[in-house]
Amino acid sequence: MTRKDIIFLHQSRRDFLTSSAKLAGLAGAFGLVQPHTSAFAAEPEKPGELFVRAWGGAWSDALKQKVSDEFSKLTGITVTHDNTYHAEMKTKIWEAQAQNRTPPVHINWDVSDIAYESAVHGACVDLADLPVIADMKAAAVPVGVTGVPYLNPYLYVYALIYRPSKFPDGAPKSWKVLLDPQFKGRIVATSSGNGIIHAAQVAAGGKVSDMPDNMQAGWDFIAEFRKQNPLLGKDEDMTKWWEQNEADIALNIISNVTDIRDKGGDVAWTVPDEGAYATNDCLWVPKGFPENEEYWAKQYVNFAMTKDPNQNWCDALALPGLNKGFVAPAKFKDDPAYPTTDEQLKKVFFIPSEIQVKHWDEWVLKYKSIMNI
Amino acid sequence: MNANSHSKKQFAYPLKWRLFDAIEAIFETVALPKMRAATPYIWLAPALALIGLLGVGMFLMLDASFRELDRSTFTLSSTYSLVNYARLADYSVFKAVLVRSVLASLVVTVTTVALALPYAYTMVRTEGARTRKLLLFCLFVPFFIGAVVRGYSWVIVLGREGLVNDFFGLFGFEPFRILFTPLAVVIGMVQYMLPFAVLMIAPAITSIPKEVELAAEGLGANWRRTIWEVVLPLAKPGIVSATIVVFTLSITDYAMPYMMGGGMYDFVSNLVVDIFLGISDRGLGAALVVVLVALGSLIVTAIFLAFDYRTILRKKTFINKQLP
Repeated sequence: MTRKDIIFLHQSRRDFLTSSAKLAGLAGAFGLVQPHTSAFAAEPEKPGELFVRAWGGAWSDALKQKVSDEFSKLTGITVTHDNTYHAEMKTKIWEAQAQNRTPPVHINWDVSDIAYESAVHGACVDLADLPVIADMKAAAVPVGVTGVPYLNPYLYVYALIYRPSKFPDGAPKSWKVLLDPQFKGRIVATSSGNGIIHAAQVAAGGKVSDMPDNMQAGWDFIAEFRKQNPLLGKDEDMTKWWEQNEADIALNIISNVTDIRDKGGDVAWTVPDEGAYATNDCLWVPKGFPENEEYWAKQYVNFAMTKDPNQNWCDALALPGLNKGFVAPAKFKDDPAYPTTDEQLKKVFFIPSEIQVKHWDEWVLKYKSIMNI
Repeated sequence: MNANSHSKKQFAYPLKWRLFDAIEAIFETVALPKMRAATPYIWLAPALALIGLLGVGMFLMLDASFRELDRSTFTLSSTYSLVNYARLADYSVFKAVLVRSVLASLVVTVTTVALALPYAYTMVRTEGARTRKLLLFCLFVPFFIGAVVRGYSWVIVLGREGLVNDFFGLFGFEPFRILFTPLAVVIGMVQYMLPFAVLMIAPAITSIPKEVELAAEGLGANWRRTIWEVVLPLAKPGIVSATIVVFTLSITDYAMPYMMGGGMYDFVSNLVVDIFLGISDRGLGAALVVVLVALGSLIVTAIFLAFDYRTILRKKTFINKQLP
C-alpha cells in the first residue's frame, strides 16, 4: 500500500470531493484539464452512461450543449437526456425505489417544489458533500429539509408579459391590468395556478406572509379574473399562443419569450409594483444506484453548478444563475424579471417550499374550481 | 407422379392449421380429462389475459381510491377511507368537469352519428365507383393522422390568424375567437370521431338489401319515410354500436379538450392528469377515475337498454333471416 493510498483511505468523502474539485479547478485554471483525464482520475469506476431527465426543446438543448457535452468531454461518460415530464418522472423514480429497481435516471432536473416532495418522500441522495455548495448563493440550497437533497442552479420569476404595441404609455404598473376589460379573452395564465395564485394575493392587497392562512383577497381577485375568460396552459402553450397572436398579456417565465423578443417580436415584460412570485428548478440524484454511479451522478450535479457551466447554461436559458460568480448578461442588466442583485431580489418574493407543497393541492383545486365553472 | 403430388397438395393442411392442432393436442395431453372439453376455448386465453390485465389495473385503481395521501411522506395510507370521495364532493371543479364531459360527449355523439349516417349510406349505396372510392379515401385519411396533428390543423383553421378569420376579414370583420371555445372542442371531437362512427354504421347499412328499400318505395313510401321506417330501424345495431363507441371515446378524451379548449374547458381526463402529475395525489386521481368509469358504464348501459340490446347482439338481422 502506497502513501497515496493510505491518505486516500483516510480522507472523508467530503474532503476527497473538495480536494478533487480544487485540483480540477487548479488544473483548469492552468489549462491542464484534458478530456477524460486527471480531474477525476482517482475516482470510482465510471459508468458508461448517465441519464438525465430534462425538459425538451430549447431547455434540453441548453443543458446538452452547456453542461452534458462538456461533462462528457471531461469524463468520457456519455450523458443521455430523457424528456419524460418531470412530475411523471418523479412517480417513476418512486415506484422504482419502492420495488428495489434501479431508477430510470441518474439526475432529475425538476421543479424545486416537486423535488421537495421527493425529498420528504426520502427519494433523494444527500448532496451535502458537494464542494460546489460553498460557491453557491444561499437561494441555491433548500431549507426546511434534512441535508441537501437537491440544488437549485437558477431562479425564475413569473413576470407580467405584455405586447408593447398595446401599451403605448409604457409597461403596466400593476397586476390589476389582468382585470382590464379591454384585454378580455386576450390573457394567458398557468393552468395549474402557479404564479397567478401568488400574483393575485399581492394584487388584491394581501400579503405574501398571509399565505396560506388568509388568501381570501387573492381568491376574490381570481374570481374577477375568471370573468376575463383567459387562456390557461403550460409554459409551452403560452409561447405558442403568443406567437399565434391569441394574447396580449401573459403571466409566465421570461425565458419562454426571450427568443421572440430577440427576433424582434412584439413582447416585453415587467415586474409590477406589487412584486412577482419567484421560484427555482433544481437537480437531484435519486437513491437506488450502485455507489459508483451515484458518485458520478453527484459529480454531474457538482459540475453543472460550477461557475462556467452554470454561467453558460443559465445564459442559454435566459435565467439568472445562482453560482456566486454568475454575471448577468448586458441585455438583462436592470431587468427586474431577471433579478441578480439584492435590490432586484427585493421586488420578487418566494414562498417556502414547505408551505407551497403542503397547501399546493388545496390551492390548485380551489383555483380550478373557480376557473372551470 | 403428378397426380400423386397434386393429391398430396390437395389434402395437406396449411401450416397454421397444423400449428393450431398441435397446440390443442398439447393442451389435451397436459389437461385433466374433465378439462378436455374446454379445448376449443383455449384460443380465448389471449383475450382473457388482456381483459384480466385491465381488470387488475382497475382493481388497483379502486384500491388506491380508498387510500388517503399522507402529504408528510407522499405515500398512500395503509388503511381504507372515503376521504378521496368526500374531496370530490368538496371542490366544485369535479362536478363541473364531470357534467361538462357528459354533456359535451352527448352533443358530440349525437352530432357525429347524425353526420355519419348519410355519409355511410351514400358510401354504401352510391352507384359511382369513383364517388365510393373518394368517400372511402376521405374516411381513411384521418386514421393516418394522429389526434394531435388534427388538433393543430384546427388551430390553423380556427385560430385568430387562421383561415376562417381571414375569410371574415375579407368582409371587414375584426378577428374573433373561435378556437378555445366549447364549440371548437366539439368541432374537433366530431371530426375525430366521424370515421369511427361511419365504420360502425356502414356494415349495418350494407346488410340491408337494396330490394327492401325498393319495395318500400313501390308501396308508396317517399325517401324520407323509407329512411325513417326502413333503413334506420334495420341499421339500428350499427347505429347503437357507433353511439356507444363515440360516447365512450368522447367522455374519456384528453387531446381535443386540451388543444382546442385553451385550458378552460377541461374534460375528466385532463383533470385526472393534473391530479396524478400536478398535485401527485394518486388516491384522489384514482377516485375520479372510478367515478368516471362508473358514470360511463351507467350511461352505456342506459343506451343499451334504450335501444333494446337483444336486437344489437343478435347474430343475424331480421332481413337476413327472412330472405333466402
